[in-house]
Amino acid sequence: MSENSNPLHKRRVLLVGDTTLDPLARLLERNPEAPDVQTSAAPYGQVFQILLDPNQSAWKFQPDVLAVWTAPHLTLPSVGKLLRFDFASAPEVYDAALREAEQFADAVLRAALHVGLVLVPTWILPQHERWIQALTWRKGVGLASLLAEANLILARKFAAQQNIVLLDAGYWQASLGRPAHDPRMYAVAKILYSQSLFEKAALEIKAVMRGSLGLGKKVIVCDLDNTLWGGVVGDDGPHNIKLGAPDPVGECFSTFQKALKGLRSRGLLLAICSKNDEKFALSVIDEHPAMALRKGDFVAWRINWKDKAENLVGLAKELNLGLDSFVFLDDSPQERDQVRQVLPQVFTPDLPKSPAELAPFLTALNCFETSSLGQEDFERTAMYQAERGRKEVLDLSGDVENWLRSLKIEVQATPLRRESLPRAVQLLNKTNQFNLSLRRLEEKAFWDWAEAPGHAVYTFHVSDRFGDFGLTGLASLSFDGSGARIVDFVMSCRVMGKKVEEALLGFVCAQARAAGAQHVTAPFFDGPRNGPAKDFFSAKFQNADAVLDYARVDIPSQIALKEEGVALAL
Amino acid sequence: MDELIRILNEIRPGQKFAGTEDFFDQGLLDSLDLTALVAALESRYEVFMDVDEIVADNFRNLAAIKELLVRKGVNI
Repeated sequence: MSENSNPLHKRRVLLVGDTTLDPLARLLERNPEAPDVQTSAAPYGQVFQILLDPNQSAWKFQPDVLAVWTAPHLTLPSVGKLLRFDFASAPEVYDAALREAEQFADAVLRAALHVGLVLVPTWILPQHERWIQALTWRKGVGLASLLAEANLILARKFAAQQNIVLLDAGYWQASLGRPAHDPRMYAVAKILYSQSLFEKAALEIKAVMRGSLGLGKKVIVCDLDNTLWGGVVGDDGPHNIKLGAPDPVGECFSTFQKALKGLRSRGLLLAICSKNDEKFALSVIDEHPAMALRKGDFVAWRINWKDKAENLVGLAKELNLGLDSFVFLDDSPQERDQVRQVLPQVFTPDLPKSPAELAPFLTALNCFETSSLGQEDFERTAMYQAERGRKEVLDLSGDVENWLRSLKIEVQATPLRRESLPRAVQLLNKTNQFNLSLRRLEEKAFWDWAEAPGHAVYTFHVSDRFGDFGLTGLASLSFDGSGARIVDFVMSCRVMGKKVEEALLGFVCAQARAAGAQHVTAPFFDGPRNGPAKDFFSAKFQNADAVLDYARVDIPSQIALKEEGVALAL
Repeated sequence: MDELIRILNEIRPGQKFAGTEDFFDQGLLDSLDLTALVAALESRYEVFMDVDEIVADNFRNLAAIKELLVRKGVNI
């Protein structure tokens, strides 16, 4: 296994730029949020040499991530000329700048071949460069128009590259409310950007790295009174809470709910944790005319008088998700404090006091970052609701074997395909519990591994009569001599408790044996939270060398396993 | 003074700034830390350091930093 497959290793980030980026390097290293990083700032002003030549000494650092941050007027000489009116013909220098932008993009593409992830902040100019406002957006002539076109060249050139992410430095700059450039520091140490811009950049780079590793938050748990609406519904009554126009405070809470609904639509799970009467509160949610969120938008709730930390633990258990993927939103400082003390792994931010600031606060959070958005995300809430239906059937019957048979589970096994790569990597990186090796890889690295000789990767699509779980399983084999090793064995918590893992293992072992492996091993990484995977495999080993005992591997009769395009030859 | 030390330790955790004669000569800070220190002092004390003031001499120990801040009207 290469070193970057160790889930606990620090991500190595190489910073390359045309000005001093060391302040950013230090902020990245000192930022306490995951993932831990180790940085190296290459000497400034050698951008093209480093991008184009993998033998440059900067590459000896062996980065997992390359960040290339350049200033348009320095790295594209013709932008500098347009900026300072140093030209005979504006259209000529404008076109020359676009060609230089293309060359820069091509150099980044070359560098992206030998690093897992490339981050490129878009080009920005200092706010004090007013230029000529009447001309700046004139196409073929103006500075603002040129900068926009140059950035679009980057976006176009990188569009098909899974491992290059353009970072929106224009958004960083606009979010500061302070200058993003510091002329003093440029004079003192060739540091172009202000400390506050570097601070913003460090937070955003960390957030994007978390997203690419699947470490974004998954669940938002909301309080009700004075969080989803103004007032206390139990005291004030459903008609007197502040929610919806024309009351301005009510309008603010509506806007906040709509922002939450937007996050729900992109795949976050919403839940409720509130001290209220359950029946009454749920009736308000479903019947109040101004509620943007209805019962169907929430996947679980704890509406009772117990303490909130206890309720959050219950929600995590019900949803089968780790508390470190939870965000807790509550207007009460006392409740927040209790949750922070008991459950520090839950992200419990202070909420703004003004209702008007609630929605902007929520939409500015960087903890929900993700590297892809697909069908799985759009349908997530519906999938969790189907799960509620399944559990209700189990509760009624009580007979697990019969219940499993009644679910009519189907597992579709498929070799890893390019189009399912984003979801496969999301699953690999986000799954903590049922994960054999806890290997965390970016898309490109995982695809390269899967394509290498002697490796095979399978994805599993699971469905039952209540609905479709989507791509919820992943397994990989590495053949070596007469044996095979299961390198990854990952299953979403969504399908846990249904013997799906038995079917997956049965399939993987059959593949390994059909390809000539005389024995199959499944050594696990002893992580803090992958107990379910460790327990499952430990019970299947015939000896201490993690060799599987075939007598204990079988596809359960309640599960229909289908294979699609599975070729035995490797 | 405690606050100054806290600000310095945010830039360089674990270093013992109190009683040190010269942060730069003795390796507690380098020129890049200086730029971070300027930014931190400016934001905490709402002062502005001009380009000719951003030199190691003004920041080499606690007394020098205090003197600079006092000169800028900070009550420290």
